[in-house]
Amino acid sequence: MAALAWIALFSPAAAVVAIALAGDRISRFAAGLLAAGSTGVSFLCSVAIFLELLGREPEDRSELSTLWTWLSAGDLEFAAEILVDPLSVFMMLVVSGVGFLILSYAVGYMRGDEEERRYHAYKALFVFSMLLLVQSGNLLLLLAGWGLVGLSSYLLINFWHVRRTAVAAGKKAFVMNAVGDATFVLALFLLVQRVGGLDFDTVFSRAPAALGEGSAAAVLVALGLLGGALAKSAQVPLHTWLPDAMEGPTPVSALIHAATMVTAGVYLIARTSPLFELAVDVQDLAAVLGAVTLLVAGLVALVQTDIKRVIAYSTMSQIGYMFVGVGLGAYGAGLFHLLTHAFFKALLFMAAGVVIHALADEQDIRRMGGLARELPWTFRAFLVGALALAAIPPFAGFFSKDAILASAAEAGTLGWILWAAGVAGAFLTALYTFRLLFVVFFGEVSAFAREHLHRERFEGPRAMMWPVAVLAVLAVVGGLLQIPGVWHAVDTWIEPTVESIEEAGGLTAAASVLASLLAALAGIAVAWALYRRPGDRPAAIRRRFPWAARTLEQKLYFDEAYDAVFYRPAAALAVRLGRLVEEPLVLRSLGGLATGVRDVSDRVAATQTGRVRGYVLALAMGLAVLAVVFLLVA
Amino acid sequence: MLGPGIAAYLILSVVLFATGALGVLLRRSPLIILLALEIMLNAGNLALIAFARQLGDGDGQIFALTVMVVAAAEAVLGLGLIVAVSRLRGDLDVDRLTSLRG
Repeated sequence: MAALAWIALFSPAAAVVAIALAGDRISRFAAGLLAAGSTGVSFLCSVAIFLELLGREPEDRSELSTLWTWLSAGDLEFAAEILVDPLSVFMMLVVSGVGFLILSYAVGYMRGDEEERRYHAYKALFVFSMLLLVQSGNLLLLLAGWGLVGLSSYLLINFWHVRRTAVAAGKKAFVMNAVGDATFVLALFLLVQRVGGLDFDTVFSRAPAALGEGSAAAVLVALGLLGGALAKSAQVPLHTWLPDAMEGPTPVSALIHAATMVTAGVYLIARTSPLFELAVDVQDLAAVLGAVTLLVAGLVALVQTDIKRVIAYSTMSQIGYMFVGVGLGAYGAGLFHLLTHAFFKALLFMAAGVVIHALADEQDIRRMGGLARELPWTFRAFLVGALALAAIPPFAGFFSKDAILASAAEAGTLGWILWAAGVAGAFLTALYTFRLLFVVFFGEVSAFAREHLHRERFEGPRAMMWPVAVLAVLAVVGGLLQIPGVWHAVDTWIEPTVESIEEAGGLTAAASVLASLLAALAGIAVAWALYRRPGDRPAAIRRRFPWAARTLEQKLYFDEAYDAVFYRPAAALAVRLGRLVEEPLVLRSLGGLATGVRDVSDRVAATQTGRVRGYVLALAMGLAVLAVVFLLVA
Repeated sequence: MLGPGIAAYLILSVVLFATGALGVLLRRSPLIILLALEIMLNAGNLALIAFARQLGDGDGQIFALTVMVVAAAEAVLGLGLIVAVSRLRGDLDVDRLTSLRG
């Protein structure tokens, strides 16, 4: 079984090496197939591992496999080891399964693009990094995967490196993630110092005694880990990179910035839950920040005009729900939402990709409209995704979101506040999702669409359409894994690794479901009233509340605030240092050094007259002096 | 032991060496300088042979032979250079050959 897990891990890495070495000896299409196929192999291995674990007793489902000692420093030893347990297998299935679908889609989407091979290699690199992240058996290797997904995300965001905005977005993502990585690393340092190791077993068994519940060290460790999770998962306040990351190709947005990488923070909190439970306040903070993010992102998504940015904000908002779940200790619910979200968000992105593809790379929804008639199947897929996102039964999002809300309802006063935020978020989610749907697909076919719409045999290349179809099916039935009050497949499965809190049952649960469902339906109704056909009602609302519209369009001024607090002082400081330190100390001192050396060398050169007899005289005199000295000494 | 003692040979050697050195220092024609150099080398050879004779072993003679080989090589190279320089510049005054000054 361990061998299968290693194969699953290294198969995409082998594809990267193969594509890089083969260069243009293989066709671009073959490179794409290699990347997708290697991920398919990972998926098959994951399924095989899953089936084998399923056959074992629940407490027997964890296995650690070590290849070699990776690093050793004094008493510390870090092994290249992977952990196969229910939680990691769950993530492996999501990553490689959804990854396989999206990589297959990308073969069609990227066809004919420049540098296609580089794209496929990066994509396979990402899958490898993500698998390393979820499979690793210690926190150090997890950190390596954590850094590698950041790297591949950066490489893919500015894949179209001739676009200035794409390069800027890549840098932004990298820098914001570096902030989180730094706090993550600090937490690991503290753990090494206090606990004396980083593998999960050591840390989790020794941490309660070594750190102490609620101690400053425990809080710092949890805060550090939370910082990493917030940056990677684009939660307030480290969220501003995700919308910009939409500069990357659409399959990248679907895989990295919706389905897998950005949910790594949720995985991290679930994985290190024993540490978070030593610092309950920090875990509550995670839930609160999740709730804040889900509201902020939901509000901002209302006014965005780029089809991918709307979906990006909705991703932030949905990960906010997951943070609420894992922050409250409802790990099963949080991970369940991670799973269904991977399905329906990848579906939405890929359907949006079909639209963008058909409209000659246009992403502005104001130029779209009436596409339901032109792209009926894409419309249906998008509708399924939107219904799942808005949590309408029986689509997947309904069950997972309500599992989180039902858990919140059972978690005391804080839980009720978070529950209220979640229900408000459900309203916003439905509103912005269906605004997008109505604006893009309803009404008259827009002038731009009439002019630019081009279709191939079907609504898109076949390689793009079948993954969309598979995901659409999954977005419909994926929710049946866990039905509140009936069965809890996800909770039960991950129970050997992390135990989830009880969720509300009976009347409370029913009321919670009803409230969120009503909120979602209200959202759809409002969207129907405002955006069913192009009209001036949205504009009228905007005129009545200009400040609100402006604030939302500026994304609540987060970018401006960071500019003012971090960027501009740093830039001003750099200018001043340049004038006061670099100019006199570095530049002028170098000039002085050069002049000095030249002066000395001029003087030395003057002794070289070029007259042979002069040299001979010097030689003879030197010899005479030496002879006298020797005679005197002797 | 027949003939004059070692001191006489050494005095002759010093005189020859001084003659050669003065020639190198004072003359301006490269040909003469080369000749003076040969005199200096042979002064050295004379001293080496004298010491070899005095000590009764062959070391000094071997050194002297080596010096002769070097002297021959030096003469070949030096004359070749002188011919080349005279063809290039027409006159042969070492005081004017100062193109290598710093």
